[in-house]
Amino acid sequence: MKRHKVAIVDSATVVAEGIAAILSRSPRTEVVGIYRHIAEIESIIAAGRVDVVVASVAQYHEIEATTSLNNIPVVGMQSSLIEEDIVRRFNATITLYTSAEDVERIVAEAAEQPSEHNISESHELSDRERDVLVLVARGFTNKEIASELNISPHTVISHRKNIVHKTGIRSVAGLTVYAVLNKLVDSELI
Amino acid sequence: MNKKISTAHLASFSPEMKIFELVESSPSLLSIFSRLNIRLPFGDISISEMCEREGHSVELFMMLASMHADTSFRPSKEHLKPEMLGEIIEYLRASHRYYAEHMLPHTAAHLEKILQHCDTLSQSVLRRFYDDYTQYIIDHFNEEERNIFSIIDGCAEGDARECNCNLFDMPHADIDDRSNDIASLIFKNLPEEAPTSLRCTMLEHIYALRDDLRRHSNVEMYLLRPLIEIYSNTTR
Repeated sequence: MKRHKVAIVDSATVVAEGIAAILSRSPRTEVVGIYRHIAEIESIIAAGRVDVVVASVAQYHEIEATTSLNNIPVVGMQSSLIEEDIVRRFNATITLYTSAEDVERIVAEAAEQPSEHNISESHELSDRERDVLVLVARGFTNKEIASELNISPHTVISHRKNIVHKTGIRSVAGLTVYAVLNKLVDSELI
Repeated sequence: MNKKISTAHLASFSPEMKIFELVESSPSLLSIFSRLNIRLPFGDISISEMCEREGHSVELFMMLASMHADTSFRPSKEHLKPEMLGEIIEYLRASHRYYAEHMLPHTAAHLEKILQHCDTLSQSVLRRFYDDYTQYIIDHFNEEERNIFSIIDGCAEGDARECNCNLFDMPHADIDDRSNDIASLIFKNLPEEAPTSLRCTMLEHIYALRDDLRRHSNVEMYLLRPLIEIYSNTTR
């Protein structure tokens, strides 16, 4: 059975640790880490290491502003009263009173939902993805790539996620080797 | 020794199970025996008899076997005992030696055979990537042994001052990413000129290495880490 990779984002340590303990026991999910803020998970999303995010609904502003989350289901953790229309923006929600079995089920089912913005079925890198890959291989950070290509850092993250999806390679060292073997950059880079 | 042990939490193994049946159910478990330095032959003995003969905890052996056979298996905290700490550290040290002296060089030797069929660029790039990967793993092991295992040795000798689970924040995701990448890159760049049997053997080695390292990380995260936590709580 495929185990869905879950990132937990909640600044309330007890809540985050509790959810992690429940999901770590489940054969359907694997917790990749606990984070306090959405911004902390952008790099692991770009690396393709997250299938579903469980995040405090209090962080909905940051969640909506994070373009890379467009492709990732988000389960809202509701620990206080919050407007109903905000709750509806999440793929699913859990509360402090949701049973452990339901938490496991809800998170796994959210991970299995088709995303709103599916990644292209093509395994060929687009021209823009190739540009990003070359800069990644040359050691540029996301910010530097954004500046070089005149795009937003969020768009860079989306491109990187597509690159990981299409090549099956996650580390910068691995992507550099991929770029060299495909003659996108010079072998002197490594 | 016929101590009654609850096995409800342990995959499908039981202390009464014959070693032969255990290995037959999952032959890759043989690598655990060499890491625990368990003497052969087993004859017709059971898991509990073998553990008694070799001086190992039956529960710990069964947890290791369960985690090896089923990567989604997680040991229950209630079955972890502080006295298992020394034994698990010995197992992990032996695992490090197993990778460094056996699996990594063995895979490198197969890679060399395959590289003879590659062009010069692929040869140099893939060899360098594998060498860097090997060095990264060895450095990670050395760091764990220096910064974690040696402190736990101190705990076992009564120095509990520094023994806590915060010791255990070594990143394992990087190793998994690199293991995955080396498998992907070799898979996609296997030269067509190389004999099919050689190509298949290469892939078997690389995937076996990746999967075994994942099991090793699981033992550190889901067995060693909670054990350290339990140990530090009992000595506080």
